[in-house]
Amino acid sequence: MRYLLSHVVDEAARTQPTHDAVRFSGLSLSYAELARRSNGLARILVDRGVRRGDRVGIFMNKSLDSAVAIHGIMKAGGAYVPLDPFAPPARVAFVIRDCGIRHLVTSDLKLDQSQLLAEGLDRMTLVGASPRDGHDAVGWVEVEASASDSAPAIELTEQDLAYILYTSGSTGTPKGIMHTHRSGLSFAEWAAATYGLTPSDRVSNHAPLHFDLSTFDFFATAVAGATTVVVPEALTKLPADLARLMAKERLTVWYSVPFALMQMLERGSLAKLDLSTLRWLLFAGEVFPVKHLRELMAALPHVRFSNLYGPTETNVCTFYNLPPTLPPGDEPISIGRPCENVESLIVDEDGRPVAEGEAGELLIRGGVVMRGYWGRPDLNEKGFFRRPVFGRHYEDVFYRTGDLVERMPDGNLTYLGRKDRQVKTRGYRVELDEVEAVILSLVSIEEAAAFVVPDGQGSNLIEAAVTVKAGFQLTPEAVMNHASARLPHYAVPATIRVMEVFPRTSTGKIDRRELQAR
Amino acid sequence: MDYKTPLIEFIKQDILHGRNVPLDDEQDLLSAGVLDSLGILRVVAFLEERFGVRVPDEDVVFENFQSIRAMTDYVTQQKAVGKA
Repeated sequence: MRYLLSHVVDEAARTQPTHDAVRFSGLSLSYAELARRSNGLARILVDRGVRRGDRVGIFMNKSLDSAVAIHGIMKAGGAYVPLDPFAPPARVAFVIRDCGIRHLVTSDLKLDQSQLLAEGLDRMTLVGASPRDGHDAVGWVEVEASASDSAPAIELTEQDLAYILYTSGSTGTPKGIMHTHRSGLSFAEWAAATYGLTPSDRVSNHAPLHFDLSTFDFFATAVAGATTVVVPEALTKLPADLARLMAKERLTVWYSVPFALMQMLERGSLAKLDLSTLRWLLFAGEVFPVKHLRELMAALPHVRFSNLYGPTETNVCTFYNLPPTLPPGDEPISIGRPCENVESLIVDEDGRPVAEGEAGELLIRGGVVMRGYWGRPDLNEKGFFRRPVFGRHYEDVFYRTGDLVERMPDGNLTYLGRKDRQVKTRGYRVELDEVEAVILSLVSIEEAAAFVVPDGQGSNLIEAAVTVKAGFQLTPEAVMNHASARLPHYAVPATIRVMEVFPRTSTGKIDRRELQAR
Repeated sequence: MDYKTPLIEFIKQDILHGRNVPLDDEQDLLSAGVLDSLGILRVVAFLEERFGVRVPDEDVVFENFQSIRAMTDYVTQQKAVGKA
């Protein structure tokens, strides 16, 4: 019976042991090898004190070992917490402290590792690193030597914690989104069935591990016993290399943010490549500008396209399979209908369901929804909507997406915007309030305003403006240094203006529209 | 001609905005997260404008852009092709 995310790997290891589970830069790992190595890692972690529900960090560049780390941690009964390998050490250290990570799966190649450990963390167990600074260490060689046919015997249920993904939080620090084996598997099984994945599929693995798209890449692929092809981080920035990899690895399914696809369309010389094996092109994370989407569909007429929608809190909760030809006009494409086993509700400001065809906030209930935010009862209180049922003695719990939508007569949903100040930049989710809070923590700043401007590539760039307290001098570089030491690179404003005074609205608020337009 | 000094200066000023990140010739700037996809585009525009080379899209690949050394080697090679 399959009810844990790691079961899918064990199952594939039984039915097709020699089939490639993961590929990376010409190397590969079969399902049997992945199962044996992750069993070995699980045994090492349990020996070193990992217990059911413990959070174990993953801090390394993506490789074959990413899959070993994910499944090894879950087989040890732990929840894996992917740490952004490119985030400032102080931010990574915050996440480690926030959810109490005491074990870190890493590699010596990770450049910022020493900087991270210099952040004064408590004694940690490092798997995959050489011993240093009083931290306990086990090498990857030992993990391979411990490879085993069986995982440690631990009682777990589908309701146990499987992974925590950290995302931008509006109060100035990231928040941890807790997913269980059930919520992860619910999404993976839906995705594998909906896109008809089979063992012969070769699926892209493009998103960073700390980004929720990666759960499709690792888990939906494994549900089908297919092969996930890990894209080296360096190549994700190079559209020509990315497109070549797509052809060379004969990928059949691609999944990424629209930005990566637009880059490949513009600079990947797609017409010169043989992409005949490609059958599904899936995108999520941001609105795909219709103009570019139309061009991409024309360039790849044999491929089917699907728009997946869902905040990280729900994995994916609605989807829209595009018709072969898009209707004329620049209307944004729909986010579609709820996935199987998902209930949607659209409510007004007072939490009352809206009339048919009216706009409101989208609420989501079902197997894919997260358990809650790590250590944040305040957010858990606000983040869920409770509908009394069965004589009001019980409740159906919905996640409040904060997204405003409208249901069309054909049943599909149209995305209208946000209720708050969350924005997307090249697929990454950023709270503008967090950017402002981080800048304001600089003592010489009087006021800060963060806003988005179009990047000319179909997405947004974040910019900021500040005013300085009387008696202080400040350069834009100093603010930039402060922000980039605390925010992930994608949330650092592209430009920061130091201004005498801010433009104001008639009610005295900072006029961010005016700042945006200048 | 020295391509290295102006290139390092450009990356420090315009990409890193004066952030203090140690840069050496051989460092893999892509895997280390110094350059993202927009950063690469800006470097390409800089190379074209400052050194008068044309950089076709299919040349913007890992072997030509992984490090400062790879980029200056690429410019040198493009210059030689241009003269021939």
